[in-house]
Amino acid sequence: MRYFSFIFGQLRRNFRHGWTSQIMTLFTVSLSVLIFSFFFLVYANMQAASARLGDELRLIVFLDEAVPPGFQEEFQRKITNFNPVDRIVFVSQEEAFARLSERLGPDSDVLADLDPSFLPHSVEIYPPKDLKNLTRIKQFSDYLQTLPGAQKVQYGQEWIERFGYFVNLIQVIVVLSGALLILTSVFMVSYTIRLTLESRQEELEILRFLGATDSYIRGPVLIEGFLHGLFGVSFGMTSLYFLYQWIKGRFSGQGFINLFEISFLPQQDIMVIMLTALILCTGGSIISIRRYLRV
Amino acid sequence: MSNEQSPPESQAMVEIVKVSKTYPPDVLALDNVSLVVNRGGLVFLTGVSGAGKTTLLKLLCFLELPTKGVIEIDGRDVSTLSKSQIQMLRQQIGVAYQDFRLLPRQTVYQNIALAMEVRYESPKVVKKRVLELLAKLGLADKVHTPANKLSRGEQQRVSIARACANKPSLLLADEPTGNLDPSASALVMDLFNSLTESGSTIIIATHDEALIKESGQRVVNIEQGRLQEILQVKFEGFD
Repeated sequence: MRYFSFIFGQLRRNFRHGWTSQIMTLFTVSLSVLIFSFFFLVYANMQAASARLGDELRLIVFLDEAVPPGFQEEFQRKITNFNPVDRIVFVSQEEAFARLSERLGPDSDVLADLDPSFLPHSVEIYPPKDLKNLTRIKQFSDYLQTLPGAQKVQYGQEWIERFGYFVNLIQVIVVLSGALLILTSVFMVSYTIRLTLESRQEELEILRFLGATDSYIRGPVLIEGFLHGLFGVSFGMTSLYFLYQWIKGRFSGQGFINLFEISFLPQQDIMVIMLTALILCTGGSIISIRRYLRV
Repeated sequence: MSNEQSPPESQAMVEIVKVSKTYPPDVLALDNVSLVVNRGGLVFLTGVSGAGKTTLLKLLCFLELPTKGVIEIDGRDVSTLSKSQIQMLRQQIGVAYQDFRLLPRQTVYQNIALAMEVRYESPKVVKKRVLELLAKLGLADKVHTPANKLSRGEQQRVSIARACANKPSLLLADEPTGNLDPSASALVMDLFNSLTESGSTIIIATHDEALIKESGQRVVNIEQGRLQEILQVKFEGFD
């Protein structure tokens, strides 16, 4: 207990010696945590949205006008031979007409004079949950296009590809901001502690002559790095939470954001980010201790 | 061999055996020096400037290592001690440096308390001891004064107070009265005497002849790195 009271006494002294650099470091660590966790939050939400979209994904094969007898069984066999699917639904011209009519609702009278056969026969294919990879969907689509009787294959290709690119871009930003977090945490903490050690060089020398133990001299420095991590990640995550609340409040109910149903990071991810920041900042102080503290 | 008298191991606090110290490139600061100081003894080291007094003190507080020879403190060969053992031993050795080595921006209280804090003494004990020392050295009114606002004489007494704070088993003082008037010197000597009475061993490097004569203690003279004479005013030694 007495050890900790001395440690905190030393910490107070260190803070008084270089409070500007301490504040700057805290600010930098907080900002790095905020930037990283913000992009991670976006990425996590994009992933969740991607999974939801994948669940609703279906490929529609529009068929030639004439569908010979036995076509459905043969078509189904060829599809399942290439790749197992969750479900295949054949939609006749009449069913397609009825669906369109239902979708138009009160405006369905515009179809009154039209022959139901103006819509083509189609097949709706629901791929299994693992068939989410864009390349595989594209391969599957290309295969379906080659089947006899298939006229056109549609699955919102453009939208899915754009979404995929966006997710990839966010992934790159997450990695870059993660690297930023690592660099700033380790280097800023290490640099600040180096400044602390240099400003206290005379005192450390005297402590050494007085017989101060390694733990007495190194303890406060190590804890200083840990506290930078603790406060930095706490401020960063708190800021992220308020930013999340602001975005949710500001954009809720609007189309794009509504589609994604944004949610905050799960506790497990928060713990991992906090732990990582603590390890990085403590690591920064260990680097400084090893390089600049001679006891 | 059997005719050589040496004090029982438990009685010698400091034992220096044929110690030499050479600074690069080839400056011989101490040459084959041997000395035994018993527990509770007070020894004056005298000699002209550059004779090797400070070097001897530095060897005794591990600021320097001997080039040759053996130094035993409290029965332990210091060259065999581990880092943590040296740290523990340093906590038992008080050193009053010639250049004081105080923290200029810290108060008198903080400077003295530092020596006790490294031993994790309780704040209550620290406060009691620091105030007691300041009263004994005539600095009671300077408790909260930063060290850089003190006169040299006051700084010297603070340095001495810090060295005495832990009631060390060995106290090394380098010119402890160099900046003091006779009355302040007397206060310092009273403090040293009270420490020796409670079992501390004290080695004082000094030029102050008046101090030596008044104390009537053992005197060792160093000249050109050699212990040339031992004036046994009141020998504590090997009987």
